[in-house]
Amino acid sequence: MNTHPQEFVSELKTAGRTPAPKLKAIRFELKCGAILLVDQRPGASVTAIKLHLKGGHSLDPVGLEGLASLTGSLLDQGTKHRTEEDIAELLEPKGGGLRGEANGVSGSIAGDAWKKLAELISEVVCEPSFPKDKFARQKGRLLDRLLIERDEPRAQAGRLFRKLIYGEHWMGRPTHGSFETVQKIERKHVVAFHAKNWCPTRAVIAVCGDVDPETACRFFDRKLQNWKPKKKLARPDVVFPERGQRCDAFFANRQQVHVYLGHLGITRDNPHYAALVVMDHILGTGPGFSNRISQKLRDEQGLAYTVHADVHSTAGVFPGMFTAYIGTSPEHIERATKGFLREMKRIRTELVDTSELELAQNYLLGSYALGFERAARRANFMISAERFGLPPDYLQSLPDRFAAVTAENVRAAAKACLHPEQPCFVVAGPVKKREVEALFSKLMGRRAAK
Amino acid sequence: MRAPARSCREWRSQTARKPSTMKLGGAMVSESRLKNGMRVIVAERHTDPVVSSLLMYKVGSRYESEVEAGVSHFLEHMMFKGTPSFGKGEVDRITTELGGHNNAFTSYDHTGYWFEMASDRWEGVLAIEADRMQNLALDPAEFEAERNVVLEELAMSEDDPWRVLTQKVQTAMFPRHSYRWPVIGYPESLIPMTVDDMRRHYRKYYHPANATLVISGDVKKRAALAAARKYFGEIAPGEENASKPYGSFSEPVGETRIGMTWEDPAKRLCIAWPTTSVCSEDDYTLDIVTTILAQGRLSRLQRRLVLDEGLATSISISNECWVDGGSFWILAECAQDTEPAELERAIHEEVARLATDKVSAAELKRARSILLASEAYDCETVSDLGDELAEYAVDADWRCAFDEGERHAKVNSARIKECVGRLLKPTRRVVGWCLPK
Repeated sequence: MNTHPQEFVSELKTAGRTPAPKLKAIRFELKCGAILLVDQRPGASVTAIKLHLKGGHSLDPVGLEGLASLTGSLLDQGTKHRTEEDIAELLEPKGGGLRGEANGVSGSIAGDAWKKLAELISEVVCEPSFPKDKFARQKGRLLDRLLIERDEPRAQAGRLFRKLIYGEHWMGRPTHGSFETVQKIERKHVVAFHAKNWCPTRAVIAVCGDVDPETACRFFDRKLQNWKPKKKLARPDVVFPERGQRCDAFFANRQQVHVYLGHLGITRDNPHYAALVVMDHILGTGPGFSNRISQKLRDEQGLAYTVHADVHSTAGVFPGMFTAYIGTSPEHIERATKGFLREMKRIRTELVDTSELELAQNYLLGSYALGFERAARRANFMISAERFGLPPDYLQSLPDRFAAVTAENVRAAAKACLHPEQPCFVVAGPVKKREVEALFSKLMGRRAAK
Repeated sequence: MRAPARSCREWRSQTARKPSTMKLGGAMVSESRLKNGMRVIVAERHTDPVVSSLLMYKVGSRYESEVEAGVSHFLEHMMFKGTPSFGKGEVDRITTELGGHNNAFTSYDHTGYWFEMASDRWEGVLAIEADRMQNLALDPAEFEAERNVVLEELAMSEDDPWRVLTQKVQTAMFPRHSYRWPVIGYPESLIPMTVDDMRRHYRKYYHPANATLVISGDVKKRAALAAARKYFGEIAPGEENASKPYGSFSEPVGETRIGMTWEDPAKRLCIAWPTTSVCSEDDYTLDIVTTILAQGRLSRLQRRLVLDEGLATSISISNECWVDGGSFWILAECAQDTEPAELERAIHEEVARLATDKVSAAELKRARSILLASEAYDCETVSDLGDELAEYAVDADWRCAFDEGERHAKVNSARIKECVGRLLKPTRRVVGWCLPK
């Protein structure tokens, strides 16, 4: 006999939490000063290695924004011992690949060939040659991309939104720089940037796969023995613009508009972190359309295919952003934005229902085992845990923290960290800037600027 | 004269004697049938405490007429809008309550409903699937609200120049077959669509005999089958979809060219050819061709167009094979200082070279190795595994997932020359350009 669905629903109440994922990172300090984290997964078909370098595009010199990113992207284009082709020849037939960026280099490889990947990551980090022709080619490709992005409404909306929130601070600058700044970058800048900033004392390496930790440690010690330590990174100033009502717009002749509304967010060590994760799942993120914003704007009103809001996913060493986003038709901007503001205000003032709270908590407790299957995901988690100083029992203890969150905690967290009265607002699409400004003034209860 | 490519039906008959239990990606895979004809494939792998359920129906836009275009995809949205037992939003609420994920997707040939859960609670998703297979409410008010969501999704895709360009090329490639319209449909088909239209479609295609359930991950085969029997075993079987696609294929009689403009400085090129059915001999040959041309930095087009001559900033190739036929795609973004004709000429030269010159043994070996290694990624998660099995099962035969390496190993230089010469010849191609306004 079929079990009636409602019988099943009632059984759900006993579902509870799942076992925490098994992820035991063995931590080593390598002789060169870099930190190595190894998660051994016997039988894993893929090995992922990620080398994170602290600093990233915060180290871009003013006027040469995009330098960190361009430097990272050139690492695998040749070393003192191998050409780009040699590297590709060694990795590609084994399903391997490397990718450098402003914050490090990462790669993965199939089967048991992890030493080849580890060797090449070590080599490209320590001894890149930045061949002249490859530099010119990579810079040209980046300039082409930036030129095209100038007309992409979603990309421009994202840039404007960051700029409104972070102002002139480096976090407000695009990682890849702008067309104008990248044009000024020369090969000598890349060589000097690498020499100054790519050093082991700023590096964290995570390895996940069928890899013996001790073997990995010995291997990296040998391969990175010539990587010279330099001074540790001084934390840059953290001064952001005062919170306030700011808006901007980008005109593009398209069918949809991209609407961003939000403000400066939180750091990962925010005392409300667990409550904010729960709040996000009630307010605007999580699976399906079980959160308030998706329910109202997508499910009930049919305003959008894509709509979401959250504050915790960008929390880092520096404050992230609270971002509410919708891609919708131009005639829906006001309705959608009012919807965002209404839900932000509501969660700050009213206690969430017990049923909503339990739903979000059950999701967070139950979904714990998911997402840790991929080697790259596990490597990323290890890097985050190291960067944010998470305790060794973090994966075991976080469910307890989620479970302990009360409706009062959610309201207090929302009150402390959501600011619907002082949002930044960006619209990109077929709407003129003065119309956006007029709408924003209206939404904020101000007289429109002339 | 060389024999024509084998169809997937022929291939199926060859594999009929293969064992019903096989090993893939560290999982033991087996197929069973419930009494009502529903196929259940279980892939047992206990690496992580996770189970994926993917229920796939043999229906997609291939089975729509042009006036119905988009009904399969729209119905997929409505499958989350409730039944008398599970009200609106309950599928998402229950998924959330269980700490799982869900999603759904529609293609030309099939529609899939996916859940991923911790392995101590996965069974519950079958209650949802069995219920909405039979009892979908299709409430008129919900239908209207969701139509707006689908139209917004359509508007979103129409703001993407690549999507607009590739759809124009797709339409030109299949002038008389239902593969020519977008899976999402057109405003002209979606706006007049009624609840009754959708209900007819639902009743025709949503029943056990037209469904394949793939359960993969940390589950015992016996428990998985018992759960499938419990929830689906007593549903009336219905009939397997034997509908023919709307329209037919016609052999192209010359190159087709398409032009469009966009408000940005990018010069986007799309070249495509109609090709072959999934799991045919040509399908495997075109996998090798794809790899030789554009997989990795040593591939011919990456090397020449992007790395050496700098004619393109990016290039990608895909070999897409479906039930009735397929298509082979080359997408490239022209470098700003390159003339579009120069880029196009270089691509045509490289494709033509495959039809005339022998591919070296080393290049062939490299391509086979890359494809073999990619299998590790295809099955990295239990959901990847389920997806691989379900798509093959519904479109051809799930056993196709097991001997890809063997089939790629059989592709030799002569076969490549013949296949490229026959399928990727200039008179069969559609060339689309999207240039700055």
